[in-house]
Amino acid sequence: MAQSVERSFTVAGSIDEALAARLQGAVVLAGGTWLLRDPLRGVELPEAVVAVHRIPSLSEVIVEADRIVIGAGVTHEALGKALRGIAGFEAVVCAAESAANPGIRRVATIGGNLCSIDFPAADLAPALLACGAAVELETTSGPKRIDIPSLLNDRPGLLDQSILTKILLRRDLIASAHIRLPLRKAGDYPVAIVSLALDQDRRCRIAVGSVEPVARRWTVLEQAFAAEPGGFPRVPERAEALASEHNDFDGRDGTEADGWYRRQVLPVLIKRGVAALLESEGLA
Amino acid sequence: MTVTFRLNGEDYRFRDDPMTPLIDILRQERFLTGTKAVCREGFCGACTVHVDGDAVPSCLKPVGLLEGCEVVTIEGLSAGNQVLHPLQAAFEAADAVQCGMCFPGMVMSLLAFMRDNPDASRDDIKAAMVGNICRCTGYERIVDTVADCLAQQRQTAKVAGGADV
Ligand SMILES: Cc1cc2nc3c(=O)[nH]c(=O)nc-3n(C[C@H](O)[C@H](O)[C@H](O)COP(=O)(O)OP(=O)(O)OC[C@H]3O[C@@H](n4cnc5c(N)ncnc54)[C@H](O)[C@@H]3O)c2cc1C
Ligand code: FES
Ligand code: FES
Repeated sequence: MAQSVERSFTVAGSIDEALAARLQGAVVLAGGTWLLRDPLRGVELPEAVVAVHRIPSLSEVIVEADRIVIGAGVTHEALGKALRGIAGFEAVVCAAESAANPGIRRVATIGGNLCSIDFPAADLAPALLACGAAVELETTSGPKRIDIPSLLNDRPGLLDQSILTKILLRRDLIASAHIRLPLRKAGDYPVAIVSLALDQDRRCRIAVGSVEPVARRWTVLEQAFAAEPGGFPRVPERAEALASEHNDFDGRDGTEADGWYRRQVLPVLIKRGVAALLESEGLA
Repeated sequence: MTVTFRLNGEDYRFRDDPMTPLIDILRQERFLTGTKAVCREGFCGACTVHVDGDAVPSCLKPVGLLEGCEVVTIEGLSAGNQVLHPLQAAFEAADAVQCGMCFPGMVMSLLAFMRDNPDASRDDIKAAMVGNICRCTGYERIVDTVADCLAQQRQTAKVAGGADV
């Protein structure tokens, strides 16, 4: 049993209340599936915590004609259910429905997944990078909208003075795919993740997670794809060859796999991803 | 801080650190030791309980998030001196249980799954068990038992609905 501790614990009823507590040093608590494991990692739980689970707008998914707005407190399970069947967002649905295990997915939020700074294997990070998502932060000077690479690359700086409130997706995609490679069939962290999304102009965005410490776009491969006839490789093996030729990743060593292995598997994951995109409706 | 919630149908008030994982309260304060603490990090599922009807790991649930919630543990399904819950009885009848360490969590996960997925296939059942690790059984008898219970459940619903009459 935890020792009796004088911990400040605020249950915020509004975003303003949550931000005020954050500015005073409280750590945001969403589902708690990452934070509660701090003691196992040798890190003490924070002295001040602000829980955001009672803020109604954070658990909403709003699907509009031209965009989708996802509250940062939406769970993986709820996200998968809300976006299932909406063309273009297959990668986000697959990421939400295959990360972790069912019990964790019922609790873990999209905000927690993106804001766990020390977690390189977040499934939603590459999926949202490929889908070109933007995010909204609540700051002292009001809402601030930035693209997802800016969030992922500067989380310590940004989240020190703000909280993540929304994830925004434009509905200009025709198909996307999320290919993950765990060591077992399911239930453990993926060794490498590749997400691809194709927009209405047949431009392909490609993102990679879990290989380097922070997920990122694979821009040299995107350019190589764009140089193909029709702006996209129509044969998965051709995509695999291009991925081998343009592999500029520096894999991280970790308990599940060595860095060289994470890097090595990327071309095969690209092949599977392109095959999945080609199979999607509207691409034949 | 004080947190009040329902635990197996009764009011329960907790006064201490709101970041205490629910599992520690269940086992150490309430002596509800059916819920097992094995990995304490969300991988094994042995600590699964129902919170507002959802099967979730209690090792990663800070009690501060439970104000007003309804928590049910394995003991809430059937006290030791009562008839077992039908799913527990089915596992026993099928000789599916070996050491038993995983079973309280297995039952809590699968019960919620069966309620929400009456038409589940074998693959669906296996997918629902991804977060419940069993080191003894090889899983097949568990899957067989759940598939049989679902088939029985569907048959009962059909008869009750008069579809075959
Ligand atoms: C067993 C297990 C397996 C897992 N497997 C996978 C996997 O395969 N793929 C995968 O992607 N993930 C996996 N995860 C990680 C999981 O996705 C994260 O634990 C989860 O998404 C964190 O969300 P949470 O709501 O529980 O966050 P919390 O634990 O509450 O918070 C996590 C961090 O984010 C911060 N935070 C949360 N919300 C906000 C916000 N709105 N604004 C600012 N900061 C915020 C918190 O302060 C904290 O630092 C796994 C986790 C477990 C326990
Ligand atoms: S003890 Fe909670 S999941 Fe293993
Ligand atoms: S019966 Fe022993 S772990 Fe499942």
